[in-house]
Amino acid sequence: MILRTLVLSLALAQEGYAPPRPVGDLLDGQRELRVQKLGKQLRCAVCQGVSIADSPASMARAQLDKVRELVVEGRSDDEIYDYFVDRYGEWALMEPRKSGVTLGLWLFPILLLVSGLIIIVSSARKGASGLPTELPAPAAVKEPEAGSAPPDDPFLAQVRADLEK
Amino acid sequence: MKRQLAVAGSLAIIIFVVYVMAKGFGTNPHEVPFLLAGKKAPNFTIKRLDNDTKVSLSDFAGRPIVINFWATWCGPCKLEHPVLDWAAKQYADRAVFLGVVFEDTEENTKRFLAENGWSFVQLYDPKSTVAVDYGVSGVPETYFIDKQGIIVGKYAFPFTDPREFTTRLAQITR
Repeated sequence: MILRTLVLSLALAQEGYAPPRPVGDLLDGQRELRVQKLGKQLRCAVCQGVSIADSPASMARAQLDKVRELVVEGRSDDEIYDYFVDRYGEWALMEPRKSGVTLGLWLFPILLLVSGLIIIVSSARKGASGLPTELPAPAAVKEPEAGSAPPDDPFLAQVRADLEK
Repeated sequence: MKRQLAVAGSLAIIIFVVYVMAKGFGTNPHEVPFLLAGKKAPNFTIKRLDNDTKVSLSDFAGRPIVINFWATWCGPCKLEHPVLDWAAKQYADRAVFLGVVFEDTEENTKRFLAENGWSFVQLYDPKSTVAVDYGVSGVPETYFIDKQGIIVGKYAFPFTDPREFTTRLAQITR
């Protein structure tokens, strides 16, 4: 296994590049605009996260040529996307479709945001209704009269008893 | 009741997020999905490199077919060349072997084959149309097609071990 990995690494280190190839024949104005628009939505099969319209890779140009061919055949946008999805799955699309299972990917963040807002608003309302509208007046503090003391104060009672002796 | 709903909602969100993350982290982001397995192999007509005659996949209907996509500038392709050459001789009576050269020049390919020899039909795909039709995402890639013309699978690595090739071939010749 180690030997196999080493041999493979050596081979990969010798890897070269595809010879450059000319850009395919462009279509007329409107149709070529459509090709480029579609190409922006399709992922290059040999690149990382780059659309076939933006990639300089030779294979991406071949894929873009395929888009041109399908446009000339009169295929719809969905049919052209389907051609690539049939081969590479939804991975072929730069953005997930806004239909079917992948619709959830678009809706989930919105649902999460709305849920968060609802929770914040309801918590704020609950907090507001729990608070008293006016602060209670502080309890009146009666100043003790000079010389008077609570009748049940054992200390003062003892003092008075001692003075009377 | 409200509290139970909030707990259930939170749990549902957590389960969904964990599921999405587990699915995402469980796959290799560099791996390009392949969905043609189990589907009919697209037909094509391209020329042979040795005599410029046209060859179609349909010419070999009813026989298991091995298609190897490769290019001369690809190091791993050179590495597997002896294995494929050996396999094409060894299993010539069990399957049809086709090489499809793409993303390369005809001159480079002819020079390489003259220097290294070849034991099976080599075809030239000048605009990579066949490679795009087959959902190729790199070189080398070897496709295994059964007698019914269905793509059983592809091997997206160089064959360095003849046993690996034999195992894969058995899937279309049984």
